[in-house]
Amino acid sequence: MEDAATPVMTTASVAVAESTGISPGALKAKKIERARMLFWLLPPAAWFFVFMILPYCMLFYYSLGSVDYVVFKPGLSLANFVRVFTTEPYLSVMLKSAKIGIYTAILSSIIAYPLAFYLAFHASEAIKRYVYLLVIVPWWASYLVKAYAWKTILGTGGLINASLLGLGVIDHPLTLFLYNEFSVTLTLAYIFTPFAVLSIYAQLERVPTSLIEVALDQGATRMEIFRKIVLPISIPGIIAGGVITFSLGFGDFVAPALVGGADSIMISNIVINLLGAAYDWPMAAAIGLIIIALGLGLITLAHRLEHQFQVRF
Amino acid sequence: MAAYIDLIGIRKSYGASPVAAVDGVDLSIQKGEFVTLLGSSGCGKTTTLRCIAGFEMPDTGTIRFSGEDITYSQPSERDMRMVFQDFALFPNMTISENVAFGLRLKKMRGRYSEAQIRARVEEYLSLVQLADHGKKMPHQLSGGQKQRTALARALITDPAVVLFDEPLASLDANLRKAMQVEIKRLHRQFNKTFIYVTHDQEEAMAMSDRIVVMNKGRIVQSGSPEEVYSQPNSKFVANFIDRANILTGIVETVDGSTAKIRLASGATLSAPTNDATISGKTVGVMIRVDRVSLGEDGSDQRNILRGIVAERLFLGAKNEYVIELADGAGRISVHERTAGAQASIGDVVPLCVLPDDIRVLAA
Amino acid sequence: MRAFGNKPLVAGLAGAVLLFLYAPLLVMAFFSFNASQFTGLPFKGFTLSWYEKVLENETLMRSIGASVYVGIGTVILSMLIGLPAAIALDRYDFPGKAAFRRVVMLPIVLPGVITGVALLSFYITIGFRLSLNTIMLGQGTALTCIYVTEVFARLQQLGRSQEEAAYNLGASQIETFFKVTLPNLKSAIFGTMLIVFSISFDEIAVTYLLTGRENTLPMALWSILRREATPEINAVATLVIAFSIVLIVIGVVASRGKDLVAASKS
Repeated sequence: MEDAATPVMTTASVAVAESTGISPGALKAKKIERARMLFWLLPPAAWFFVFMILPYCMLFYYSLGSVDYVVFKPGLSLANFVRVFTTEPYLSVMLKSAKIGIYTAILSSIIAYPLAFYLAFHASEAIKRYVYLLVIVPWWASYLVKAYAWKTILGTGGLINASLLGLGVIDHPLTLFLYNEFSVTLTLAYIFTPFAVLSIYAQLERVPTSLIEVALDQGATRMEIFRKIVLPISIPGIIAGGVITFSLGFGDFVAPALVGGADSIMISNIVINLLGAAYDWPMAAAIGLIIIALGLGLITLAHRLEHQFQVRF
Repeated sequence: MAAYIDLIGIRKSYGASPVAAVDGVDLSIQKGEFVTLLGSSGCGKTTTLRCIAGFEMPDTGTIRFSGEDITYSQPSERDMRMVFQDFALFPNMTISENVAFGLRLKKMRGRYSEAQIRARVEEYLSLVQLADHGKKMPHQLSGGQKQRTALARALITDPAVVLFDEPLASLDANLRKAMQVEIKRLHRQFNKTFIYVTHDQEEAMAMSDRIVVMNKGRIVQSGSPEEVYSQPNSKFVANFIDRANILTGIVETVDGSTAKIRLASGATLSAPTNDATISGKTVGVMIRVDRVSLGEDGSDQRNILRGIVAERLFLGAKNEYVIELADGAGRISVHERTAGAQASIGDVVPLCVLPDDIRVLAA
Repeated sequence: MRAFGNKPLVAGLAGAVLLFLYAPLLVMAFFSFNASQFTGLPFKGFTLSWYEKVLENETLMRSIGASVYVGIGTVILSMLIGLPAAIALDRYDFPGKAAFRRVVMLPIVLPGVITGVALLSFYITIGFRLSLNTIMLGQGTALTCIYVTEVFARLQQLGRSQEEAAYNLGASQIETFFKVTLPNLKSAIFGTMLIVFSISFDEIAVTYLLTGRENTLPMALWSILRREATPEINAVATLVIAFSIVLIVIGVVASRGKDLVAASKS
């Protein structure tokens, strides 16, 4: 087990102990401590190395190669990455996915805010528990069904069309509600709203009650308190939620397939298509890596922004 | 000669912090002693205790326990039991099971039969007045009862040393007093070595055989409660233990064991000293609030000061007068037990204090 | 006073958001009881016949068995990886800790397709045949982060003093783990098991790419749900979401206990 230790596993304290030549007792005690740490850390670290780091490396390896008559040829070319940005439909689909991702992030943050606000400021402790549960349950509940559910409202036989028909406003079911970018965005925003609520709420909860009391005491209006105290403090929560919502929305393939139309395919649908029918592995790998890079880049940026906007008490 | 527990040059810092939590502590503890490490938060008292318990390893230094080096031994190998501030009761076990925990471990196997364990648990539960609570779960007990359970759990395995990490800090004031009496009683009854950590000087004074005052990772004074109270060796200790007035003055002469000290107001004070070298130097003068009184009684043994009453505070059994001395020599608080006002704000009053009640401190 | 703003307005808006979260599911459930051939109004009477039809659907029923297999495997696998990872993160400082945490949490922030594609290329390279087991490995890896967050939150909340008390009373590492640590984590582990099982049960993104010859429930659902809404599909979807909601409610309550809300703040 000791031999398998990767550089991640050596502790700083052990290194210090070895270099300064501390007593054998101390060394032994630190060894025991290190062995205990490795006992917990090594299995998951090894697992993630094999089933996550290696696969990502593999993806990188594939992205540099090419395919010739359904046979993969290793290579060292960035041609696939160039193709993503120069060949249609990749670039336009990527941009469209990004657009949908951004709309999704904005829409879900806007929808989430009042509920997060209510949870943080208005709900009594007793109610809070239940409302919180009501938010977290749909977040984890069946992704597939959540994406499908809007069909029963927006579809040709859905609630809206049925109501309009019943009222005599229209005489044919309208298809304009479903199978377009609007329905994809709405569905994604629906799926990610609970997450945005949790993220914004966690941030709003940090606003000290005394701050609001002082503001009220000084005669601030509700709008002033919101604009000058609450909103600035909640910005890191909005950023944190928004970035993840964007990343997940951008890379989603379920909503476009279930409620999107022919023209609303997104980048992940293309990846899947490249793996299957088109059998262009290197291209799929390249796009996958771009999605990862975009996601990680945004998250790093978000961390920085969060840090910058985080109000410290 | 080696003491029962010896701490030699203990130093410990956390992570990358450049400031050591414990910065060179030397301490010897005798068998059966009740020693309290006293200091404000961050002074290193808890870290020192955790080094003794084995939860932390000192960066350098040695800890000896009955002659044996235990600096790096595992906590479970030390014959010491700790009572934690947050009680650390096991929430998944009844009170009896909590108390019996130490007896049912593998290393104790064969030592006690199940019937003996049960009898012993009964005995220790009644020792801490929890005889009828054995079947309850920790969450059903009050804070005081929880801490008594923790005490029973610590004592039942008959350890040589019991460590206390601010055990009463989360209890309310009345309960704290009662628990102090109880812990003191247990110390007398079992005659074990108790090492106690607290930030509460009253608690330390009430319970300990010896108080070790710590500041910034070091020991500043170690002595009996009487010693640290009446003969603090520094302004820090004087201020930390109870209420003290500290004035500044210049030593004019040292005559035998008496120093004459001139304050900024011009008044001179006689104070005992055994250090002739302080002559001509600036020193601190400590006078306890209850060792100075209003008025003069004519005897020339006493030091007399004059000042104006700036404030009077009613403290229940006593009054506190804040006297402003002339020429910015400072303020003196006086505690008077007599009911009713002896002076009003603005009055010029004399103060008197016995030379033996003055302590000369390094400036 | 913490509450500011127009109370009824805030409560009303919050209620509207909750309605938004549940309305599509309720509409779907409502239509699944409609005795009409078509989804939608008018409501022609209450029937359970669509549910009967679902239960008669053999492909669907068979896929449930496969999904239960994958789900149980995923639950166990992600626990075996997630529990030690959470303990390591809670207790020790080691170089690369931040990076390790990020890698473990990556599946939360990256689209599932990415995890799927990466694993698929890995499997193909080393010559793994796609099967239920490959799905299990993928989901197990991706869902480990849920164990890590839930167990880590519990460990932080517990603090170290109980374990220290156990060592101090003479308990060995093993005794302390089994007598003190594990009992304290029991409900968090159990709750997370239910949550993970529920997510695994109809997880699509990773599954879609790693699926072999045998169909799991999400794959069966995928092909059904892509069709235009019908009462029968509504019935399937209602059953799936109801099952998943029940598991998650029990799971969240078990995992977070009284401090349901507090756990999220860490």
